[in-house]
Amino acid sequence: MKNKKFQKILDAILIPVLAILSGLVLMGVLIAITGKPVWESYGVLFSKAFGCEKASNCAIITTLERATPIMLTGLSAVVAFRSGLFSIGQEGQYLMASVVAGWLGYSIHLPNGVHQIVILLACMAVGAAYGFIPGVLKVKLGVNELLSTIVLNSIATLFIEYMVQFPMRADVSTTAHSPIIDVTAQLPTFMAGSKWGVGFVIAVIAVIAVYIYLWRTKSGYEQRMAGQSKRFALYGGVPSDKAAIRAMIISGALAGLAGAVEVMGVHRRIMTGFSTGLGFDGVTAAILGQTHPFGVFIVSILFAGLKLGAQLGLQLKLGIPRELGGTIIGFIILFVAASKFYEGNIDRIRAWFKKPDKQKAKGGGD
Amino acid sequence: MALALEMKGITKYFSSTDVQANDNVNLTVEAGEVLALVGENGAGKTTLMNILYGLIKPDSGEIIINGEEVQIGHPDDAIKHGIGMVHQHFKLVPSFTVAQNIILGMEPNKAGFLSPKEENKVVKDLADKFNLPVDPKAQIRDLPVGMQQRVEILKVLLREAKILILDEPTAVLTPQEVKELMEVVRDLAKMGYSVIFITHKLIEVMEVADRVSVMRAGKNVGSKKVSDTNIPDLARMMVGREVLLRVKKDTIQRGKPVFEAKDVSVSDVHGLAAISHVSFDVHEGEIVGLAGVSGNGQTELVEVISGMRPLDGGKVFLNDQDITQANVRDRRNAGVAHIPEDRMEVGLNLQTNLDENLIISRYNQSEFSKFGFLLSKSIHRFAETVVNSFSISAAKPGEDISMLSGGNLQKVVVGRELSGNPSFIIANQPTRGLDVGSIEFVHKTLIEERDRGAGVLLVSVELEEIMALADRILVLFRGQIQGELEAKTATEEEVGILMAGGKLSDLVSKQPESGKESK
Amino acid sequence: MTGFFSVFTVELLNSGIRLATPIILAALGGALCNKAGVLNLALESMMLMGAFVGIVAAYFIGNSYLGLLVAMAAGGLLGLLFALLYHKYDVDLVILAIAFNLIIQELTVYIMRVMFGNVGSWSDPSISRIPDIEIPLIKDIPVLGDILSGYNIIVYFSWAITIVMFLVLYKMKFGRHIRAVGENREAAETVGINAVRIQTMALVISGVLSGLGGAFLSIGHLKLFTRNMSNGRGWTAVAAALFGANHPIGTFLASLFFGVTEAFAVRIQNVTDLPPNLVELLPNFATLIVLISIALREKLRENNARRRFRAELRAEEQQNTAS
Repeated sequence: MKNKKFQKILDAILIPVLAILSGLVLMGVLIAITGKPVWESYGVLFSKAFGCEKASNCAIITTLERATPIMLTGLSAVVAFRSGLFSIGQEGQYLMASVVAGWLGYSIHLPNGVHQIVILLACMAVGAAYGFIPGVLKVKLGVNELLSTIVLNSIATLFIEYMVQFPMRADVSTTAHSPIIDVTAQLPTFMAGSKWGVGFVIAVIAVIAVYIYLWRTKSGYEQRMAGQSKRFALYGGVPSDKAAIRAMIISGALAGLAGAVEVMGVHRRIMTGFSTGLGFDGVTAAILGQTHPFGVFIVSILFAGLKLGAQLGLQLKLGIPRELGGTIIGFIILFVAASKFYEGNIDRIRAWFKKPDKQKAKGGGD
Repeated sequence: MALALEMKGITKYFSSTDVQANDNVNLTVEAGEVLALVGENGAGKTTLMNILYGLIKPDSGEIIINGEEVQIGHPDDAIKHGIGMVHQHFKLVPSFTVAQNIILGMEPNKAGFLSPKEENKVVKDLADKFNLPVDPKAQIRDLPVGMQQRVEILKVLLREAKILILDEPTAVLTPQEVKELMEVVRDLAKMGYSVIFITHKLIEVMEVADRVSVMRAGKNVGSKKVSDTNIPDLARMMVGREVLLRVKKDTIQRGKPVFEAKDVSVSDVHGLAAISHVSFDVHEGEIVGLAGVSGNGQTELVEVISGMRPLDGGKVFLNDQDITQANVRDRRNAGVAHIPEDRMEVGLNLQTNLDENLIISRYNQSEFSKFGFLLSKSIHRFAETVVNSFSISAAKPGEDISMLSGGNLQKVVVGRELSGNPSFIIANQPTRGLDVGSIEFVHKTLIEERDRGAGVLLVSVELEEIMALADRILVLFRGQIQGELEAKTATEEEVGILMAGGKLSDLVSKQPESGKESK
Repeated sequence: MTGFFSVFTVELLNSGIRLATPIILAALGGALCNKAGVLNLALESMMLMGAFVGIVAAYFIGNSYLGLLVAMAAGGLLGLLFALLYHKYDVDLVILAIAFNLIIQELTVYIMRVMFGNVGSWSDPSISRIPDIEIPLIKDIPVLGDILSGYNIIVYFSWAITIVMFLVLYKMKFGRHIRAVGENREAAETVGINAVRIQTMALVISGVLSGLGGAFLSIGHLKLFTRNMSNGRGWTAVAAALFGANHPIGTFLASLFFGVTEAFAVRIQNVTDLPPNLVELLPNFATLIVLISIALREKLRENNARRRFRAELRAEEQQNTAS
């Protein structure tokens, strides 16, 4: 029994691991073309992503901080995907919530502890509302959720830019940004000089909560059944439409949480160019993490590390453009999706090991 | 006469499912001959024909056409050697016209530009030559099934096929259309064409074929001239033992009505009537058989009764309660069970485990969930109970079901639906595609449910199944109840007439004494 | 008020047509793929590829027209790769598209920075923009001449290819085979039509057209390349193909609508003091409304059929009770 479970987990991670390895090999090739030292690059990438030069200055801490919003938007994508909706609206929900977090952070004044909770809840509500729109459009009218969320993302991007440059703009600034939020609105950090803090704890709790929701609750069961087979759900009397809308609301709330955590814990304000595709990183983390919350947990940390290593290591130290990180992530998705390539070869290797058995079985049949 | 086709020692083993689909099969067809290929589902007929048509590569064996050994690795090769296949599910483009479909892939053209006029003429000439009239300009989606089949046959003839494979060609036809098809097949044979007629309806074999080959468990168990054999003989060869079509069934007193449909009407996607003004009831302790050629509204009617599809007119009642507006869940809670016709896509979710499949219609009950959380222990216990009481030995609680065989999957569905003593059971084609053992299991279980006092609506396109199980027979034709018969006194002939859209009065004149199984 | 209405001029149509051109090209490619039954959501990446490769090729070859050809080849190559991964390794089309879009978006910037140093956008004075051409005779027609003449070759090409695609799809053998594959792949395959080849060709053609659309942005319109230059136009093209019911003419008109909306937003910024971010919302709302109306169109078609049936039933009933 235990052995079987282990085998199952092994099967689930085998392909992503192979894909990541292939991605890293490709990275070496892309670096080699530029004439930079390949082996050194790997070393720099890893030390700037997961290493610890001094006890007070650990790269892994920054990676965990960067992983937090990816984890939350990744969970958001998992919940949406598991209801059968291919929503990639995480970016938009995240941005809308960020605006609210930035605004409530300075416009209202509440005691420490209360202020943060009010903002967190408000952000979840806003994200949920922004997720509700494509959900209800899909369920009631049949509007393609992939396309509608892309448009909603672009609307949110323009909206946050407008808010930063006009209504929320702080007086004294050359580049547009909003005022710093109150101290009562900030999320505590674990150590001085780092922004890694309560946000990460919230994300980890969310990982567990999403797991419990999807596999241990009635609502999670409903949305999974509807997501896997609409006809089966209809036949069994599962209210799939309700389940799908509920999934989009939860998905939006999770992405909204990401916005709250990013503003309250890291930037403490919103500024021009706030949209950097964190929502989309969540989508990729969900795909690569086998649309499983635990998979998202691991993958979001890997992604954050890869991006951080590319930025601080490859770009700053070696002059290799940091876009290499994103490129490799894209290829890793491709490699996971093309898993048939690996599966075919794995089967061939397995068959090679099992050859004697098989021939025996065939001989007996004759 | 000369041999048109000879298949020698054809062997095919599917390692993925561990099935010996064809085991050293020999088959011959003469020119101008109609050969019936019969056998149960899974006997290997389709595999053999797919090998002949180049869709499957055999492990060993040879194919000889007109005395020459040929290699057929692709349907293109088959077509080149004069083999044509009319598939059970037609391969037509619905928005294209008849002519565009027939000529597809070999359009006459000038520098790539098409000439609709010439296309229509070619098709018209072809239709005239074989005396198979069609309207070249009609769109396929507007045509009845029998006409679509004719288009498929013309398509094959245009490609100069000499050997025609017809895969269960009568499954979707009305008896009238079947009769026309039989004439077409006989005519083609007269013109020197060879026809391989795949079927499992033995009456058709006797009507249309010159010779018959019987397949069982991947082997050709015998080829005979039709004039030298009879239906019981063939049935024995097919199954390998005496066929017990009659299921043991006591007569019991039926109770009060449990389900009632009053003047039900439903439209299809085009706004045309799929079901119009259908009224009937099902009583406690009674199996009502709903017979009919497939595609006459069975699917729609079952979806309406189970609550999966809204109706456009009329009312439905369960135990005298109006359930017209009730959704699927309410109906199920009120005691409706539903064995759907498609167990792979509708009846089960093959992507998840046994437990989650078993609670689909009852996860809301307090036994299986509390405060919104699933009670996995009681769900597991329930799975064990179902597995034990329906002896589904292959399925294990908590594990995936995607690898189970068709028979075991159906057992899972039946087990789920019949646990909890439903008062009304809809069984839609419950034995389709199952092996003999599983069919017996399903039949026995349905009769047990009836004896317990449940009302059963058995929808089936297999006349034998209806005759064997039903207490009362309704016949559905073009979305309407064409007639109602008491099973005890009904004959297959009577049901057949109704299935074809005829009236019982048509039969009265030639009724006396011919009703029994004298054929 | 007069300031607002001064937006509606021939120049609005001129810039609308220009802005529509990349969308038209990509959307035609997308429509062709839909007709062949293979969903291509990677138009965005093919466009971006064309934009980047086009300007780089124009720079190195020293001829912008040749740059266009290279951009088309690059887009086509991407389409070929897409087809290969789909057919050979069974990759899910949506995920494949997402990966393509991400890779090209990052890879173009990576290569740009490797080649031309750490810059956010790149241009070079030696690169010449594709010149505008006046069409003789037509340019002399009052008003209409101003609307129809004075664009570069890519614009005229997008018009021509719309007509060509219409002829191919509905009047030629190849087009009929494409439609057969898209509507019932098995039907096509059983008569010997190679569906894989047809779908591959559709993907390659869509790549070629999208690549040209992208090159229009970088060397036909602006003369520079910046990060994510296609800026969602590939997705707009997907919506345009849907809105145009995958018919070449319909797709052309739908793309034109998006182009004019965008031009309208640009113009409105010039004559009013509305913040640009808010005005740029306009094309996005237009897309959203289009998406909703596509869905509504389908929904209404179904509902109407059902409503008609119910009305017939009621009429029947009344007749019965009357008689």
